[in-house]
Amino acid sequence: MTLVPEFQYQRVFIEPWTTELGSHGLMALVTFLVGATCGLIGNFLILRRMALMGDAISHSVLPGIATAFLLTGSRGIGAMALGAVGAAFTTHLLIEIISRHSRIKPDAAIGIAFSTLFAAGVVLIAVFADRVDLDQDCVLNGELPMIPLEPSVRIGGLVLGPPPLVRLGCLWVGTVFLLLAFYKELLLSSFDPGLAACLGIPVGRVHHGLMLWLAMAVVASFEAVGAILVIALLILPGATASLLTEKMVPRLVWSLVHAALSAIAGMHLSVALDCSPAGASVVAGAGWFACAWVFSPVGGLIPAWWRRRRASSGGGGTVTGGD
Amino acid sequence: MRWKFEGACPLVGFRRGLALMYFFWFSALMALSAGQEVKVSVCATTGMVADLARGVGGDAVAVHALMGPGVDPHLYKATASDLVRLQRADLILYNGLHLEGRMQETFERLSRSGRRVRAVTDGLNRARLIRTGTEGLHDPHVWFDVRLWADCVDGVARELMALRPASEGQFQARAALLRDRWIDLDRWARGRVAAVPESRRILVTSHDAFGYFGRAYGFQVVALQGISTVTEAGLADMTQLTDFIRTRGVPAVFIESSVSPAGLERIRKDAGVKLGGELFSDALGTPGEKHGDFDLGTYEGMIRRNVDRIVEGLK
Repeated sequence: MTLVPEFQYQRVFIEPWTTELGSHGLMALVTFLVGATCGLIGNFLILRRMALMGDAISHSVLPGIATAFLLTGSRGIGAMALGAVGAAFTTHLLIEIISRHSRIKPDAAIGIAFSTLFAAGVVLIAVFADRVDLDQDCVLNGELPMIPLEPSVRIGGLVLGPPPLVRLGCLWVGTVFLLLAFYKELLLSSFDPGLAACLGIPVGRVHHGLMLWLAMAVVASFEAVGAILVIALLILPGATASLLTEKMVPRLVWSLVHAALSAIAGMHLSVALDCSPAGASVVAGAGWFACAWVFSPVGGLIPAWWRRRRASSGGGGTVTGGD
Repeated sequence: MRWKFEGACPLVGFRRGLALMYFFWFSALMALSAGQEVKVSVCATTGMVADLARGVGGDAVAVHALMGPGVDPHLYKATASDLVRLQRADLILYNGLHLEGRMQETFERLSRSGRRVRAVTDGLNRARLIRTGTEGLHDPHVWFDVRLWADCVDGVARELMALRPASEGQFQARAALLRDRWIDLDRWARGRVAAVPESRRILVTSHDAFGYFGRAYGFQVVALQGISTVTEAGLADMTQLTDFIRTRGVPAVFIESSVSPAGLERIRKDAGVKLGGELFSDALGTPGEKHGDFDLGTYEGMIRRNVDRIVEGLK
């Protein structure tokens, strides 16, 4: 047995687009939707220097799920999601309260709030739900390969696809619409909260709304990629986009492109290595980030080095090719 | 004219791709359904379930087990190629009783949507199972009571007969043969454990997989971890177990092939007892390796090796 499966061009590059479109293709689509939704929100998180908010929210979901299970006794998706979003929003409020009413800075407040809640979740599960099939694991790891197996949702005669795909699709469309509707408010309050407040934008409410939407996006993404990888998908698209352009609209578009390219490259990588598709797409996403870092025309390592060399060699006469 | 045609409809390339995709898909379906010589493809979760399907199906089925030797089913995560196998399979067999963790929920939904998916433990009378906790849950490690596992044969045979009515007689005959074989195995195990004195029939293992074994063959079973391997043992559990081993004079403890041995190894050192060796708990051994005349990659080989190890360690 070899560690890395033998490379087969047909299997790795052709079949996922033809015969395996219903399995590998569908998984890639789910990954894209997670990356696209989280990536759009992530852009604003990065602007607000709250990138780790995603980390906080994704970890604080555990006590929410545990509480929902203890209160309702069901493991249905509705109760779980409600508990998760509730806990996530509680984390956000807790962070706000700590950072506003004590001398603790926001980054430390994030660290206090989410680790406390996560620990509370571990304790809750150990005390009340011992011997029950509910554990940290079901929050930390997703089950992407199981999603295409789920029976499809049908509306009328239209086959829409597995329920998680439909949920993520709706969420993505919702995210795009909300962004279009509140673009000005989001942008201003992210770049310059003081100015935004002067112009009469309810900065606090915009912030709460963004956090609520983030909580919903993170919870919906759990099923597919799990709490740890969702952090990567939240930050990587926006971070990559911020290396490629300085304007906001192109950034948002680039983060969608990044999500798509990560999903596709991740799909091929997971087929080639027969590994976890979610993990593979995050690795691929990090690869694209590295590419942007090195090659980006605005401040990428190589173009910057090239410009420096040209500047120091004095006069462009000997150098051909240029920018 | 050609350029005009393509220029007018930018979607032509996309549509052509779509048509090509459907063609591939359709031809794959045709290849699968053409002719009766094609084997029934069965996708099983654990090695034990796969062995059961092979035993009943014989040459008429092609069985694939998702979880190989040494894999812990409680923690198993499906890969992309597993998904393809599950989608293609004519029949999906799993252990059930929450052994496969969250995969079971997907399997249940799949079964309701009309796919042929069966938990092999479904047909068993719930009164014969060991209850755990308070919420109507049962210990999933049914295969360690050989008599109980032999009763799972019929359900699998019924599924295969429904899929391939032409081979009904063959499946029925093989199922009867397999049941008899396992009832013999059960008798052999009972005879074998008689070599261990009553007072020494205490089985200390890593996780609580041997409840059915203990009940069937008269052992008190004590485990470091619970029914599932997802929760780690606490410090109090470890000291308690060490004290238990000392006071009861247990001669040996047993590690498991699919669970990390670290915790039990420490207890063994603290209590100063010998290691009875490695037992197969939630996965079969590597096919081809032998225990006497029996392949460790089969259910029978696994049971015989376990029983021999336990008897030799404790007698």
